[in-house]
Amino acid sequence: MPAVRVRLTCALVDRPGTLLKTLEQIALAGGNIISIVHSRENITSGYVPVSINVEFPDAQSLERARKGIESVGVPVIGSESLEKSLRTVIVIGRGEFGDLIRAVEGLGLRIVDASVRGSGPETTARLTLEVPEGEGGERAMARFEEVATGLGYLLLTEV
Amino acid sequence: MQRVLVNGYGFLGKRVARSLLHGMVPGVKLVAVARSTGYVYRPEGITAEGLGDDLSRSPNFVEGSALGLLEDRKVDLLVELTPTNLPSGEPALTNIRTALSRGIDVVTANKAPIALAYTELKEVARSTGSLLLFEGTVGGGIPLISLRRFCLRGDEVLSIRGILNGTTNYILSRMHFEGLTFDLALREAQNLGIAERDPTLDVEGYDTALKLLILANAVMGLDRKLEDVRIAGISRISADAVALAKEANMAVKLIGSVDSDGRLSVAPRLVKLNDPICVHGTLNAVTLRLKTAGDLTLIGEGAGEPTVTSILNDVWEVVTFRGSSPR
Repeated sequence: MPAVRVRLTCALVDRPGTLLKTLEQIALAGGNIISIVHSRENITSGYVPVSINVEFPDAQSLERARKGIESVGVPVIGSESLEKSLRTVIVIGRGEFGDLIRAVEGLGLRIVDASVRGSGPETTARLTLEVPEGEGGERAMARFEEVATGLGYLLLTEV
Repeated sequence: MQRVLVNGYGFLGKRVARSLLHGMVPGVKLVAVARSTGYVYRPEGITAEGLGDDLSRSPNFVEGSALGLLEDRKVDLLVELTPTNLPSGEPALTNIRTALSRGIDVVTANKAPIALAYTELKEVARSTGSLLLFEGTVGGGIPLISLRRFCLRGDEVLSIRGILNGTTNYILSRMHFEGLTFDLALREAQNLGIAERDPTLDVEGYDTALKLLILANAVMGLDRKLEDVRIAGISRISADAVALAKEANMAVKLIGSVDSDGRLSVAPRLVKLNDPICVHGTLNAVTLRLKTAGDLTLIGEGAGEPTVTSILNDVWEVVTFRGSSPR
């Protein structure tokens, strides 16, 4: 079973001891806490969103932690994988690709390699993108495709 | 004896009619052959001598539509092989509808009626107890529909992905291996008779979209329409794109896919060279993702002579079914 690295976002009641109860549940499930971001400036209706980056030994441990946290009355409002994968895309279009590159960055994707050619009427670029694992990454890729098509590019993605 | 009308006397129609005359399928009698301008009808059975290369020169040739043979139930089985016609699907759609509504079984290789009106035609067939078989519409000689009907009944098809058009695969393969531009590769395909003079249906992805619709509806049990398919063709694919893909150990292929959420798309995609669907030339390849059995990939010629195999097998199935369940 591979280790699982995730960012859990919990909605904590703004009361002393709530964060400790949450962290205890993560520890009980075998999670190793990497970092905690406590956004006190984002208090909404008495709740403080807290993002906790954790490495779990496997997916079952993550599930146990999630249930444990909710059992002590703390809602888990987000679970995003911290693993990244590399995807190759090819973009065909006219222009400098500046608009597209800005769109990539705005979607939480990162270009780690690029190769550009322009022997035909349109320019062609091959990009290697770092994409978050999981649903978030898939959503970002789907949005990237929409944006690229909207800007008049032809985007080729991996099957 | 099942009395058969072969409608359409082009590449497939001639081969199927001759195969039936030569007894490739026992239990059938070829009584009529039709083309757009007229037909030959002989209730006692057409003979090889009565069926030349040019149907209109046959001694019994009658000008006009063969639709009356269906309306008057002069045949038991219609083998509909007229060319695909978009957006109407005619005249095949009317022929098939007429046949099924009168309890005449139908075998077809014409994609349009099945892609455009499968749900309606299936309902007509059910109401009259007639059979509607269309293996030849997708993947030429690759038995995709029969595979689902006979071999995968105990499983669920979660998604489908594949190369369903031999013409575009030929063009992209020539670009990949020889570094040709799209225009040059297309012209070569046209000179070889692989691409039509008007290649729009193939290169803009519509042919793949029709086949994908048939697979989505008949293999996955969905009820999708042509407007549900997101379609992009290959005419914008540059030689640079193919070269950049090749450097990354990939090939550009026109891929039709039905994903697990039921979304249909046709688009040029990047396929790893070691992916089983990464086939070249005019070959087709389809991967069915099954809930229990995992991925199943089939590869074969997607058009031309192999399609005759699919059509004859469907005719055989009709004869077998009618032998055990007469009307």
